[in-house]
Amino acid sequence: MVGEEHVSMIPSATSKAWSADVNGQFREVLAPSNAILLDVLRDKAGCLGVKRGCDMGTCGCCTVMIDGVPRLSCLTMAHEVNGCEITTVEGLANGSHLAPIQQCFADHGGSQCGFCTPGFLVASQALLNNNPCPTEKEIACAIEGNLCRCTGYQQIVQSIQAAAAIHRGEADAVVSNNAAHSDPHPSGPEM
Amino acid sequence: MSKDYVQQAGMNKDVRVDGKRVAGKLRFNPPGSGGSRPEMAERDLEFIPELEGGNEPQPAGAHLHDGLRTGTTVGKRTPLVDANAKVTGQAWYGDDIRLPNEIIGRIVRSPYHYAKVKSIDTTKAEELPGVIAVSTGVDAPSKFGVLPVTKDEHAMAVEKVRHVGDLVACVAAIDEETARQAAALIEVEYEVLDAIHDPKKGLLDVDEPIHWRGPYHIGSTNVQKRVFQEFGDRESLEDTTKAFHNGKWKFMGVNHGFTEPHAVVAHWDSNGRLQLYTPQQVPHYAHRALATVLEVPMHQINVIRTYVGGGFGGKSDPFPHEMCAAILARKAGRPVRITFDREEVFWVNRGRHPSHIEVKINANDDAKISGFEIDALIDGGGFASFGHVTSYYNGVLATAPYELGSFHYTGARVWTNKPASGAMRGHGAVNTRCAIEVGLDDIAEKLQVDPIDLRLANLLPPHSKTITGFRITSNGMRQALERVREGSNWDEKFRKLPVGKGIGIGCGFFISGSGLPIHWDPHNFPHATVHLQIDMDGGVTVHTGAADIGQGSSTAVAQVVAEVLALPLEMVHVRSHESDTSPVDLGSYSSRVTFMNANAAIGAALEIREKLLNAAGEMLDLPPEKLVLNDRRIYFKKDPTIGVSYLEALHKSQEDIGALIASGAYRTPPMGGVHKGAAAGLAPAYSFSAYVAEVEVDVDTGLIKCTDVWAAHDCGKALNPLAVEGQIIGSCHMGLGQVLSEQMVYGRTGHLQNPNFLEYKIPSVHEMPNVTPIIIESCDPEGPFGAKEAGEGPLLPILPAVVNAVYDAIGVRVNDLPLTPDKVWAAINKKMKREKIDDARDLPVPRLDFSELQKKLVKRSAEHKIRDARRQRREDEGPYLNGVLFGLDPTLPPEEQDETWKISVKPDSSQLDNLGLAGTAWTKKEQRHMEGGK
Repeated sequence: MVGEEHVSMIPSATSKAWSADVNGQFREVLAPSNAILLDVLRDKAGCLGVKRGCDMGTCGCCTVMIDGVPRLSCLTMAHEVNGCEITTVEGLANGSHLAPIQQCFADHGGSQCGFCTPGFLVASQALLNNNPCPTEKEIACAIEGNLCRCTGYQQIVQSIQAAAAIHRGEADAVVSNNAAHSDPHPSGPEM
Repeated sequence: MSKDYVQQAGMNKDVRVDGKRVAGKLRFNPPGSGGSRPEMAERDLEFIPELEGGNEPQPAGAHLHDGLRTGTTVGKRTPLVDANAKVTGQAWYGDDIRLPNEIIGRIVRSPYHYAKVKSIDTTKAEELPGVIAVSTGVDAPSKFGVLPVTKDEHAMAVEKVRHVGDLVACVAAIDEETARQAAALIEVEYEVLDAIHDPKKGLLDVDEPIHWRGPYHIGSTNVQKRVFQEFGDRESLEDTTKAFHNGKWKFMGVNHGFTEPHAVVAHWDSNGRLQLYTPQQVPHYAHRALATVLEVPMHQINVIRTYVGGGFGGKSDPFPHEMCAAILARKAGRPVRITFDREEVFWVNRGRHPSHIEVKINANDDAKISGFEIDALIDGGGFASFGHVTSYYNGVLATAPYELGSFHYTGARVWTNKPASGAMRGHGAVNTRCAIEVGLDDIAEKLQVDPIDLRLANLLPPHSKTITGFRITSNGMRQALERVREGSNWDEKFRKLPVGKGIGIGCGFFISGSGLPIHWDPHNFPHATVHLQIDMDGGVTVHTGAADIGQGSSTAVAQVVAEVLALPLEMVHVRSHESDTSPVDLGSYSSRVTFMNANAAIGAALEIREKLLNAAGEMLDLPPEKLVLNDRRIYFKKDPTIGVSYLEALHKSQEDIGALIASGAYRTPPMGGVHKGAAAGLAPAYSFSAYVAEVEVDVDTGLIKCTDVWAAHDCGKALNPLAVEGQIIGSCHMGLGQVLSEQMVYGRTGHLQNPNFLEYKIPSVHEMPNVTPIIIESCDPEGPFGAKEAGEGPLLPILPAVVNAVYDAIGVRVNDLPLTPDKVWAAINKKMKREKIDDARDLPVPRLDFSELQKKLVKRSAEHKIRDARRQRREDEGPYLNGVLFGLDPTLPPEEQDETWKISVKPDSSQLDNLGLAGTAWTKKEQRHMEGGK
């Protein structure tokens, strides 16, 4: 940080065991007593799908579900949610089957650069779990804490509406003529 | 094998209700089956193909690529090819690269606006347990910058720091906590200098200019670039002026606000090569700068573009932190990861320039635009970045879509002690466009004509040239204006809504790819290269350097390849992440990717197509020109039952060579004038757009709510309408932010006060209006399947449309963006006092009483509509140079017909006293022309 004066070292926080049900799997790790949930999920639990956008609860990229309720993991102390059930974007799909909300975000242009997408997906899945018939206003209120710089939200709202229709059993996933192909092995990190 | 053969699923045999796109379960026709449509009739290229509705004449005539249309993907709503990675959280952005043994880097930044670095003591930091490497400016003395002409950045401060947040040193340690502590332990001695924050002061001579350019330095000012351009004869046209507009504008700086903060991972591998992972829009320029700064050859560096969490121009410079990571990793011998926090993103900035712009517009008795006079002073911050180009764009991109009698532009970009401004979506064009379009609204009011008719009667036709010599090809401006007028019910609303409600229009014009590559002569190297490779299984791998930053460039490239080779999109795989495997590409800026890379991809696919047809011809004993390639089959045109499968033809053509490989390239045609700066703003095609915005203004508080936007954008041919609409709506969002709420606020002492998303207000879902995207397809003759750009152009019209709508609602113009409630309320209050009104709801709002001119304009635009349609369809192929509306011969350059016509790029001495604010930069001499110059 700019112009940061040197403050004498605060004694390091002691590490404590942290355990939770992360995406259906019991996880137990050692985490400092002052650890932020976002850090634990990204660095210790391997959930790199949870994104860090601002560190101060303004962008919503780090939204995860804690016992079914969407919360900002950057403003949550890890040990505060000890023993809770945590769902991140990685936990939405059923194995290799995309959840309707994921499918709809892909099909309706709800995701462009994709960085805010995990947060939006979790927030909207939490909405749909409780309310399969959300109005446009309710959808807007559910995602008001999430910033998206690419889509202008309109296609995100459409994606959520389409997913809601699938949840209600009113529609199959939209069948577009060109299914996008998944790219599970992009020309990725060369170690 | 059955027609709906499904590849074996993995372990999981569950059937999904919505079942598609499950790994290993892609629905395919079995290879070599002949596909689902073994027949394809010959078709008339002059007509819209059956697959798109059919039997209407093509609006813009036949296109070069029409014969390649196979109906596979082009023009269809196509989800992004990398969408699955993004919705599952698997997409790897900068900070998601975790290499074994990594350490964390942290940057020490300047706390002063402007200071000399006297000394740096790193011993305490080095002694801290856990610190692995420390580096300062002495480790990397070479300068770099995105433009070769203005290299003025260092990896870390060498002599001076130029803004708060400028890089001074960096450290790498075993964890973030230790790195932060070490950064705080670095002791830097500064000698504080007088800082400059007001761009107006940048025009004055000072003792210690922020940069020194030797003999080319302008006086001893902080002017980084000055531009003067004069076309036509302003003075003689001024005599016929019927209406005159003079608008003085102030635009605050805005930031891209991408959600992913910058992050970089550097790793020197076991062979001593640098592997650099970075979310870059323009990996190639970063590659070049790294080679310069690290003093290693480019082939020893592999730049790996991670997924980019939003760019918008903000990730297109080579960045000093990328150098820092590489330097630290070299010292430490371990991978180094640096991730910014949000505040640091604002210190790096490169957002839109804070600007002071003055616009003067003259219109004559026929409501023809006889003169544009623009003066733009832009605040560049501490470094040059793309500023050289921005300085031109602020003027020259305002020369269309209208026919002008004369054009006069003075611009200056000054260094100030703020984070550097740079390229941002709509680069350089946005602010001036806003001022111009609001000016035209004012002119229309003064002439008492409809502003849409005023524009319609002054448009340049398709296949024409602007006053500065830009070659316009396809032009859908007229359709765009007509469609938004109809869609918004304009004629029923404009100047008829009650106080507090308003409607406004704005237009846009933007380049579709820069005509001049930054680093080389366009005639030596192509702008874009794409390699295709098909192995025996028939899948196509596309190698391109085009950086997908979420706009869908990989999708567009895959689409055109799939279209030409008639393959399902699943069989085309785009590899674009690594500089090792991708051909050199200039990157994702100036809206060039679809136009240039898709064109290059078509070239490569054509080569493959030819090889396949030749092989099939040999097998069938038929000449290749009588064969058709479609739906994974190659067959005889006249008897579709005679044919071979795609795979058979592929294997035949691979007999001697193994894999099929092809390379395609694109370069722009030679264009443009010869005057200095003629290349700035040149593009192989231009996009056009027209927006109508409807707003509600709370007259008691000044709060503006934009409720509806009708957004028509001419993108040539929409390769992927889903992505085009996404770009249009997204542009509305970003432009709306700039016009209503976003601003980088610098306090009294020049300190940036809102480097976070709490106080830097990006519109949320609640602030978004209902946007109706309208795609205009003018089908560009040189674009891939007729496509142009859709990424940046759609941003321009939203600003003036909203500003004009606010005027329609409350009858007050505020020329100071963003239109925050305090400014609007103050303007309303001032007017109420002046008019002695107590209740804001009684404010007089403008009304339109058509003058005589209106009929004239309607008549003229009706005539021009016929002219334009003929030119668009190439029924009239004669040249059309700007100036016809003013009685000049369209075939001859104006300077040959009119003795008073001027093209000058430097003010003569008589003009020096009469220049605008930015123009005063011309009153200084360069050092080399000064007596005793340094």
